Amino acid sequence: MSGRAVAVVGGVTTKWGVRSATWPELAQEVGAALFRAVPELRAEEVDSLFVGAAEPERFAFQSHVAPLAAEQMGVRPHRILQRTELACASGQSAIRSAYAAIASGLSDIAVAVGIEKMNIPSMAEANSSMGCVMDRMWDGPHGATAPPFFAMVAQRHMLEYGTTEEQLAAVSEKNHRFANSNPSAQFHEKSFPRDKLLRLPLIAPPLRLGDCSSMTDGAAAVLLVGEESARRFTDTPAWIRGTGQYSDFHNLAHSGSLTDWVGLKTASREALRRAGIGVHDLDFAEVHDCFSISEIIEYEALGLCGPGEGGRFVADGRSSIGGEIVVNPRGGLLGCGHPLGATGIGQAVEVFHQFARTVPPARQVPDPEWALVHNLSGSANVHSLMVYQRGGAA
Amino acid sequence: MSGEPPRPRRPGGALSSEPRPEETPKNPPVEPKAKPVEALPFLLDFFPLEGAKETRLSRFYERLREGRVSTTRCPRDLELHWPPRTACPKCHSEELEWTDLPEKGRIYSFSAVLAGAPLGMEAEVPYAVGLVDLEGAPLRLFGRIEGRAWNALHVGESVRLEPYALPDGRWFYRFRAAD
Repeated sequence: MSGRAVAVVGGVTTKWGVRSATWPELAQEVGAALFRAVPELRAEEVDSLFVGAAEPERFAFQSHVAPLAAEQMGVRPHRILQRTELACASGQSAIRSAYAAIASGLSDIAVAVGIEKMNIPSMAEANSSMGCVMDRMWDGPHGATAPPFFAMVAQRHMLEYGTTEEQLAAVSEKNHRFANSNPSAQFHEKSFPRDKLLRLPLIAPPLRLGDCSSMTDGAAAVLLVGEESARRFTDTPAWIRGTGQYSDFHNLAHSGSLTDWVGLKTASREALRRAGIGVHDLDFAEVHDCFSISEIIEYEALGLCGPGEGGRFVADGRSSIGGEIVVNPRGGLLGCGHPLGATGIGQAVEVFHQFARTVPPARQVPDPEWALVHNLSGSANVHSLMVYQRGGAA
Repeated sequence: MSGEPPRPRRPGGALSSEPRPEETPKNPPVEPKAKPVEALPFLLDFFPLEGAKETRLSRFYERLREGRVSTTRCPRDLELHWPPRTACPKCHSEELEWTDLPEKGRIYSFSAVLAGAPLGMEAEVPYAVGLVDLEGAPLRLFGRIEGRAWNALHVGESVRLEPYALPDGRWFYRFRAAD
């Protein structure tokens, strides 16, 4: 890519799950973890802070969260301080904004942090908060939330291509297995073999509990710098080589084909073109498995397999270690949980540690050089992607 | 609409507003289920305020009371909108006209909420929702599907688009499967 090269040179996550901690406490926790993990970083050097937070107003009754996060984390940004909100892709948006700021020269050392508190005393109120991601005035009164939308996607994929419940469960089984080697994952200690997944209760048919990512409290942060200072912080910078985004609707009436995700096709082609590689050059991908069916369609839209072949792709082990590409070695949203604003940052943290070879052996991708991170948001109406390359020269 | 804006109340409540005698609805109004309710806080109520004081689309809700589910169309470029709009997204004209939507449609896809309903809708679980292709209009609408259990619905089957009254006097629309 042209312009100043930008790299992720450090990254941390808090424990994700049902946390006995408030939103500001999660911010303090992730700040403390970042400065422990990157001892070379001085707080006064952080000139910019981008805060991915999807719904702090709804879940924590708190607006103006960027200065709150800065105060909690112990930084005083003097170039750019802002919150990024793009529902489930709010964290990815923070990274894209930090990348643009550094590439342009406005920022030299930036932190992108994602923080979400989702477990609140009233589950029904939390469900309403998820519902207002949709077009609340028109789709909301019908009781639209994410599970029935992605259930309709799954129903169409089953109808058009013969995808099975067992293939959906194969996604969840794989990602939960990876999460078993990720101590920060919400479901780190839980085992979900396929036969167990197929006996879990239906949430929105055909989707069962194990097909759905959960309500999660958690935070994650990455440090981004320009090319001249990357080596100060790490021997294995994760260089941002490409990015892409596509948005095509909001109201569900305009969702078009539920199984052909044109937005992801377009955005991923753009991101890969900018990086100068093809999809088969990727060693691993962190994709947005908010529901099991999402990952299946993402294989297809990314071009890892043909239309309708996503179910077989995962069932045959082609997206696991030993297959053609490792997908979601971190454990995915299904295994790690999905604290909306923190998810995209958590995926970038995984990329950094995969490149640094500092993840547990059970989920270490062999000798990774290229990685892709994908987030969808809302009803898969927006797709945001980043392409990273390990080490090497700027 | 006249007088005070209706207070937001959650659906499923005690009283329904009868249609005025001079109105002859195209579709008979559907009686709400009778159960005790409390008003939801304004910002947790998905059903919008419908009056001319609150929205420039109050005509949509007035037409619901007349038994018509309608939308806007741009007379300049004939673009049919959903949801109804105040400005055409194509030519940005603000001179739009109202037109009734077809009553019949076919299910393109559906599911049901068996858990995880928003506040105020918990008592309605399980409820079916779907995307429905309208017959005779290039529109696919999302909506609640009433009239049949979710596990007896089928992709491709015919459903009817109908207005219905909320217990507090507001109106909305949904689909109804044949008995």
